Amino acid sequence: MINIDTFAYNSKLKDRDPMEKLLFTFVTLSVCLWANSIIISLTVLLIMTWSTIYGGGIPRTVYFKLLLIPMVFLIFGVLAVAIEITPQPYEFLGSISFFNFYLGVSKAGLITATQLFFRALGAVSCLYYLSLNTPMIDVMSALRKLRCPKLLVEMMSLIYRFIFIFITTAETMIIAQSSRLGYSRFMSGYRSLSLLISSIFIRSYQQADKIYTSLESRGYDGELNVLEKSKGYISTGYLKVLGINVFLVILTFII
Amino acid sequence: MSEHILQTKNLSYSYPDGTTALDDINVNIKRGQTTAILGGNGAGKTTLFLNLNGVLKPSSGNVIYGGKSIEYSKKGLTALRQAVGLVFQDPDHQLFSASVYQDVSFGPMNLRLSEEIVRKRVEESLIKTGIYDLKDKPTHCLSFGQKKRVAIAGVLAMEPEVLVLDEPTAGLDPKGVGEIMRLLKEMQQDLGFSIIIATHDVDIVPLYCDYAYVLDEGKVAMEGSPNEVFSKAELLRNLHLRLPRIAHLMEILRKNDDFEIGNFASTISQARKEIKRWRENLRLVNK
Repeated sequence: MINIDTFAYNSKLKDRDPMEKLLFTFVTLSVCLWANSIIISLTVLLIMTWSTIYGGGIPRTVYFKLLLIPMVFLIFGVLAVAIEITPQPYEFLGSISFFNFYLGVSKAGLITATQLFFRALGAVSCLYYLSLNTPMIDVMSALRKLRCPKLLVEMMSLIYRFIFIFITTAETMIIAQSSRLGYSRFMSGYRSLSLLISSIFIRSYQQADKIYTSLESRGYDGELNVLEKSKGYISTGYLKVLGINVFLVILTFII
Repeated sequence: MSEHILQTKNLSYSYPDGTTALDDINVNIKRGQTTAILGGNGAGKTTLFLNLNGVLKPSSGNVIYGGKSIEYSKKGLTALRQAVGLVFQDPDHQLFSASVYQDVSFGPMNLRLSEEIVRKRVEESLIKTGIYDLKDKPTHCLSFGQKKRVAIAGVLAMEPEVLVLDEPTAGLDPKGVGEIMRLLKEMQQDLGFSIIIATHDVDIVPLYCDYAYVLDEGKVAMEGSPNEVFSKAELLRNLHLRLPRIAHLMEILRKNDDFEIGNFASTISQARKEIKRWRENLRLVNK
């Protein structure tokens, strides 16, 4: 997770208007889900991969490793769709008998499974485009502009900030515990973990208290009003989003 | 305009559980000066600061800003918090946003200023604190010293009359300590605000401060110019503090090695002057 975060801050597309990237991601994602065709899904996968690797400058190896993560779930999910269990062997391309049942793959099942596989992969590539090229702060500022409930965005931004403090605290505590052999045996490890969790809870509570005090001293009145750095708005960017998606929709109808 | 910008009169504060944190504190902060609040751990420095900024309300006594007792109404508090800016010890307790720019803009936004003015102030304080290059970096990628600067920038953007810093040098490396203190003094010369720092780093006090208070168990135990305070070594040691290293050296030279050094010295330059004078006197005697 932290890795994705660092890549987003180093992406070449970092300073692009976040709204454009958000739109590009979700419109293309919707088209990919709606079209439900292997060609469209592959095109989306290609466009998104190209934009992320060449546009954003994300290292190729990192990107493909990241794509492997959902692959495990995808393969198992797709297998469940492709393989059918029936009492009679019917329309199967190949099957094995299994007591009174037949395990087999039909042509229709295979097509559905492949479609599903590429559709999901295309969708994942859209989301990777967003998360690898857009710092979280920008996503939140775009959500704010989209009139997402203020409370929600404020919570998101606080959670995002404190995840990192939380991780550092937990890390230091785990190191301190293991340096005193806290995790050397199973039982002591068990005990150390419970101590870790309870003290992290107490720390978080204290942290919340302190941050509230410091916000109050800067005039907090119930709303976290902040200004964002203005990002360049380029209309050609939006035109590109529109163009690509119109092309995809037309392509769907032609096929 | 009164000579004192911020004062406390018989200020006492007890926490809800009954422990008395501050007991009859009288502090007078002079306009444009740097005042040190010294004291060991748990002496009440942070509690005093929270009272100065109106986050805590005194159990008895007053906080007086610019000659007027402060009002604990919403309007009064907003005005006070603009005028008295508080920089906390641990920047992770102060920086709530993952974006440096957003965090610095929080204070001025709460003052209901126009966007244009807020932007100007944010940029200015980022430049003044020397972290303009960090404005696009996420907070969690900064070093401790950098976070400290962001915390200072966030308060500076509110353009306070008094900058109150809790342990500004704690956790910084020796170079960082020098840099932060010089930065504060430079900004003070530019902008003319008053500075209050809580510290137990006694070595920085004679270098950067004009006046010092020593707190102990919630009471003002000593006050005076740094040299006045540090000339009472025994008293200071009873209060969990020590002399600045140079002052300690000079004390040993005087007591144990028969150096006849006239004036009290607690910084390197003062000590150098005194030792040179001593050498001159010695030469004259020998001739």
